[in-house]
Parts: sequence; C-alpha cells; structure tokens
Amino acid sequence: MQMKTNVIRYGMVATTGLLCLAQPGQVRAEVSDADFNALKAAVQQLSDQVQSLRQTNAIEAQTHQADLQQIQDLRSKLAETQQTAADAEQKSTAVAQIQSQPPPRAPIDEATVNHNFQILGDAEFQYQKVDGQSGGFLLADFAPIFLYRGGDNILFEAGFDTTIQNGGTAPVNSGYGTTFNLSFAQLDYVVNDYVTFCAGELLLPLGTYSQRGAGWLNKIPDDPLAVDELIPGTGVGAELQGAVPLGETGQFVNYAVYGVNGPSSSDGTGNAASLDLGGNVGLRSDGAVASLNGKPSGGARVGYFVPFKPHYDLEVGVSGMAGEWDNAVDSHIWSAGVFDAALHLGPNFEAKGEFILSRYGSDDQGEVTQQGWYAQAGYKLAGLNLELPGINNMELIGRYDSVHDGLNPSVQRYTAGFVYYITNTLLFEGDYEFLHTQDPSQTDALILQISYGF
Amino acid sequence: MKQIKFTGLLAGLGGVFAAALITGLAWIPAHADPPTAGVAQTNNVAATTPAVAPLAAPAVRHHLTGAELYSIHCNRCHPERYPTERTAAQWKTIMLHMQVRANIPVQQSRLILKYLQDNSGR
Repeated sequence: MQMKTNVIRYGMVATTGLLCLAQPGQVRAEVSDADFNALKAAVQQLSDQVQSLRQTNAIEAQTHQADLQQIQDLRSKLAETQQTAADAEQKSTAVAQIQSQPPPRAPIDEATVNHNFQILGDAEFQYQKVDGQSGGFLLADFAPIFLYRGGDNILFEAGFDTTIQNGGTAPVNSGYGTTFNLSFAQLDYVVNDYVTFCAGELLLPLGTYSQRGAGWLNKIPDDPLAVDELIPGTGVGAELQGAVPLGETGQFVNYAVYGVNGPSSSDGTGNAASLDLGGNVGLRSDGAVASLNGKPSGGARVGYFVPFKPHYDLEVGVSGMAGEWDNAVDSHIWSAGVFDAALHLGPNFEAKGEFILSRYGSDDQGEVTQQGWYAQAGYKLAGLNLELPGINNMELIGRYDSVHDGLNPSVQRYTAGFVYYITNTLLFEGDYEFLHTQDPSQTDALILQISYGF
Repeated sequence: MKQIKFTGLLAGLGGVFAAALITGLAWIPAHADPPTAGVAQTNNVAATTPAVAPLAAPAVRHHLTGAELYSIHCNRCHPERYPTERTAAQWKTIMLHMQVRANIPVQQSRLILKYLQDNSGR
C-alpha cells in the first residue's frame, strides 16, 4: 500500500510538471536551454524512477505470490505430517493391544494329543556277585509311573514294576522269572492349600524312604534291611495330607493321616511267622482269597522341614501305624513307629537315616518286638574342586543298617559304594555289602547297577 | 498284650486328634492365599510371565523365589532336572505329582512351577 501511494505521488508531480510545460502561450517567460535541459533531465529521471518502481512493484508482487504458494505448500505438508502422526499413533495403540493379549495358540488335536498325561519312572540293570558264588546279571527292572492330571487339583498316579530276575520262581525250568507288580495307584485331590485327599494303593508315609525311594533315587541299589522287613511300603485305603508353611523362609510342617487295610496274616492264623505286611487280602484257611480281617489300620506322620539356604536343610519326622493284623478270636495288634531325619550341607553332602520300632502280638510267640535302623551319608567329590578326569561326577556313599525281627538272627550290614553320574539321570552305581549275621544264607555281596530315571 | 493294646489305644486317640485337626484345615477354602501373578492355573502356558528369578542370598530378602525353592526341594531326593527338559504343561503335571510325593506346601509348589514354566523347553 505504501508503495502505491508513492507511485501516485510521483505521478502527480510529473503531471504537474508536464502541465506547466504545456502552457507556454499564457505565461511568457524566457527559458534558457540550460533550464530546459535541466527540467527535461528531471522529468526523465522521474520517468525512470517511475519505471523502476513499477518493476520493483512487479517483482515484489511475484515474490508475494511465491510466498503465498510456499505457505500453501507448507500447510499441505503439515496436514500430511499430522495425518501420518495420527496413523502412527493408531497403529502403535493397535500393536500395544495385540501385544498385551496372549499370542494365538495353535489348535491342539485333543484326539491325538493329551498334554495332561505324563510318564515318569526309572529302569535298572544289575549285576551281583555274592561271596562264594559265581557272579551274574541278576535283574533288569522297568518301573514306569503314569500320571494323569485332571484339571488343576486332581492327579491320578500309578507306578508299575516289571522285573526279570535271575533265579526267579516262574516259569518253571527257567533261569529267569518275570514279575509284574502294581507298586502304587492313587488318586490325589488337592482340597485347598493345606489339605490333599488321597485314595487308592498308597505309598505309606512310614518314614520317608518308601515314598521317595524309587530305584534310581536310591544311591545304594539295595533298600535298608529294616525298611524292607519291618514296615509296609504300601497300603490300600485313604489319606489326608498337607503342609503348612511357617513364615516366609521356607520352613514348614507337613502331616499325613491315613487308614488302610494294614498288615494281615498270610494264612489266617495268628502265628508270628504269618505276619504279612503287604495287606489283609490273602488266602484264608478254607482256600479262598478274601479280606483276612475287617479292621483297618491307621497311621500318621508329622514332619518339620527347615531350609537354611539352598542346599542346606534339615528334615525330621515322626510316624506311626497300628491295627489288628489277624482275624483270630483273640486278635492281635501290630504297631510300628518310625523316626526319620535327613540333612543336607551344601550341594555335595547328604546324610539321612531312619529308626524303626515295631511290635505285634502272636499266638505262638507272644509279643514280638522288632527294631532296626539305617544311617547313610554321601559326598560328591565335585566339592573337592579337583581337576581330575571323571572325579567331579563321582559320589561316595556309605551306609550302616541293621535289623532284628524278633524271629531270626539279627543282621548288621556295612555298605560302601559309589555313584558315577554319567548324566543327571543316567547313573552307574556300585557297592560292596559286608554282612554280620549268624544266618549262613546271607553273605557279603558286590553289586553293580546302571540306573536311569526319566 | 496289655502294652500292645495300650499302644493301639494311643494310636487311636492320636488318630482322632489328627483327624479333628485335618477336618479343621479342610474347611479352609481353596487358594487361601491369592495365586501368585503369572502362575498358570490352566493349560494356557502362554499366560506365564517370562522372567527368570535369579538366585539371591536369603539374608537380604525373606521371600524365597521359585528358583531358590527349586534348589532347596528338588535336590533333596534326586539330581536336579533342567527346566528345559519338559514343556510348561508337562511341568504342571509333574509338579502336582512331586507336591504330593514330597508333601511340600502348595504355595511353594506354585512358585517352583512358575520358575520351571518360565524356563521350560517350550
């Protein structure tokens, strides 16, 4: 606008000058050539300035137009950028929503895949050389455990034990005999955090060896004498068990209360030698197989576990079981008590043991008192930090156990052995058992065993 | 004979007392403690949080982690099994079996399961 005003102003000046020059007749004055030329130069200068201003104005108009165009372009680009940002935000939100959801799972063909079903277990292959006899491959054992989980709180588990053993009893005229046993079969229902109901053929919590002593878990191939001879490993019945944490340091008290068929008489009589710890179903005097007494046995265990830190812990427990074992007129009671303890001092040292005391009445022997115990310790040589080949996979084991069953000579046994961990589940075990007894049928023995847990 | 019958009576009384105690415990509702976040309650193994709980000295923290409880309990009976040996769903079945077999607290079993599932093979 300022520019246009200046143009008009200069134009008026120039016009006035031209009008003055156009009235020579009315004003008579002498104009020299110099004045005329000066005026002409002035007019020419003004004309040039007007022309220059017009050009400048045209250039500025073009520049203004270019600026307007550029502003328009920038506005368009800004709009595009804002749209892009909005799109990116939308996409980001969508991605975040997708990531917050679990990824889609591949459909499972339930007809062919059952991920609730699981097989665990162990297998052993044993060589034995008994003192005074020729050695031989004694047995091969396959002991699978089948697990089926029905939901979060229900589990059915069953363990089988198939063994082919040298010198077996069947078939006749064969050097080998094959046995197939149901080790246990129980239904577990977790009622709540503190109570679990179990029913079936139960692994009895008399001590802990029977429950936690699967073949490849035993660092010595043979079970402790007292565990095998003085207490039942399983029983058919029902059980309530559970554990109650004590604070937040890992300590807890656990318990188990159960009722099972319990021990029985193998022939229906009340003779001491007829005690059958396996259960009260057997052969009656009339030849029929039936329940040999109608009164079940009851038992319980209370344990206390305290961890000091990982791999350092102590567990102690007291357990007992009692019940009538025969169906004689004046029936007799069988009872047993077990004290168990286990100690871990670091990842390389373990010690554990059980003391078992049992009593039962009989027709022919009166009261029979039995007792036995074992204590064993193991040390993994990895704890020595020796850089010798194979040494870090070796564990040395020692055990002392004894049994006095009240009917036969007592037996004391010292066992020295080793476990070589080929892998964490494939073990090569070996031990030598030194027996002290007046029973001539029991002698020292060397046992080598390959164990595999799966 | 009298001593044996007395032993049986004692065992019976002990059984009655224990049964009363257990009956009381049985009335406690399931999951008295809120389930730990990230622990799979179903077969939906993808719901677990993929985080490895590192071992730390309990002296500075009173809450044991699943990794610590795994080190405490599993090695008591057998050589430790690697979490990668089984899938998350398999560990759930196996841990229920081990919880019953070793009679360990359900709360601790959950933490061990979470550790195993977080580091499982698939």
